[in-house]
Amino acid sequence: MSHDDHAHDHGHAHDAPPSPYHSSQRSEERNRELTEKVARLEDLLVAKGIVDRGALDRAVDIYENDLGPMNGARVVARAWTDPAYKQRLLDNATAAIAELGYGGLQGEHMVVCENTPEIHNVVVCTLCSCYPWPVLGLPPTWYKDYAYRSRVVVDPRGVLADFGTELPDDVEVRVWDSSAEVRYLVLPERPAGTEGMSEEQLAELVERDAMIGVTKVEPA
Amino acid sequence: MIQERLADPAIAEMPGREALPRKSGELVFHDEWERRAFAMAVSLAEQGRFAWADFQQALIAAVAEAEGEDPLTPSRGYFESWLVALEAVLADKRLLGE
Repeated sequence: MSHDDHAHDHGHAHDAPPSPYHSSQRSEERNRELTEKVARLEDLLVAKGIVDRGALDRAVDIYENDLGPMNGARVVARAWTDPAYKQRLLDNATAAIAELGYGGLQGEHMVVCENTPEIHNVVVCTLCSCYPWPVLGLPPTWYKDYAYRSRVVVDPRGVLADFGTELPDDVEVRVWDSSAEVRYLVLPERPAGTEGMSEEQLAELVERDAMIGVTKVEPA
Repeated sequence: MIQERLADPAIAEMPGREALPRKSGELVFHDEWERRAFAMAVSLAEQGRFAWADFQQALIAAVAEAEGEDPLTPSRGYFESWLVALEAVLADKRLLGE
């Protein structure tokens, strides 16, 4: 039996960067040993009444479906309230986002695209589902769907309209294609009528979809 | 809008080399045993059988040991180190008996 016949994640240039640390490179034999070892451990803990299988299934479910923090909302609110921070964010998003304690990227750079009255930005990953997860958590299902990935490139205004976002004809729409190297985050426009709000209150207004660029931030 | 979250950030967002393997934010499990080993550690910590920080320290040690001289060619995968850490903590807390 060959030990090299496992499909690696390597070479998929559009997604996570290659790391042997993250890919399965075990032989089938080793994998069988580990499967049996873990099953014995689980059986023992269940027999002793230390864990029950329902709790194990629930734990997996919670973490596999964990929506993650919307750290991006705090980044946006800071940029709206602190012009110096906003400038740092536009100059070097990776560093400015790390300032707020959000990291976890594995080699990807963050780029922030600022919406203005003249320009509206929207983010896609045309080939797979590259996504700025340290700031936005897990991608929504529609972000990974072929329909969105293909159509937003050719008909961004139509896609935005489907999300209820109508833009005046003179607004330029820019579509950003994410990759292994670059993850985009949209900095939405701060809505009118929010002048008196605190940074914390502003963060509550910022929805995930606005940071992907398919919607705008609405005043509360 | 900040959503209510069931997952413990201390687990979901571990920093550094012990960070959970993710691809575009989603956890990466290559084999079912990895998922079961993950669930055991999380579930035992949730029940207070051990502190997550203790497991995390054991995991950091196991990952560092696997990486040895070269972090790019570790001697075993992430969840194999996870299993080493789990066994170490279970032994330390004598949860498996003698």
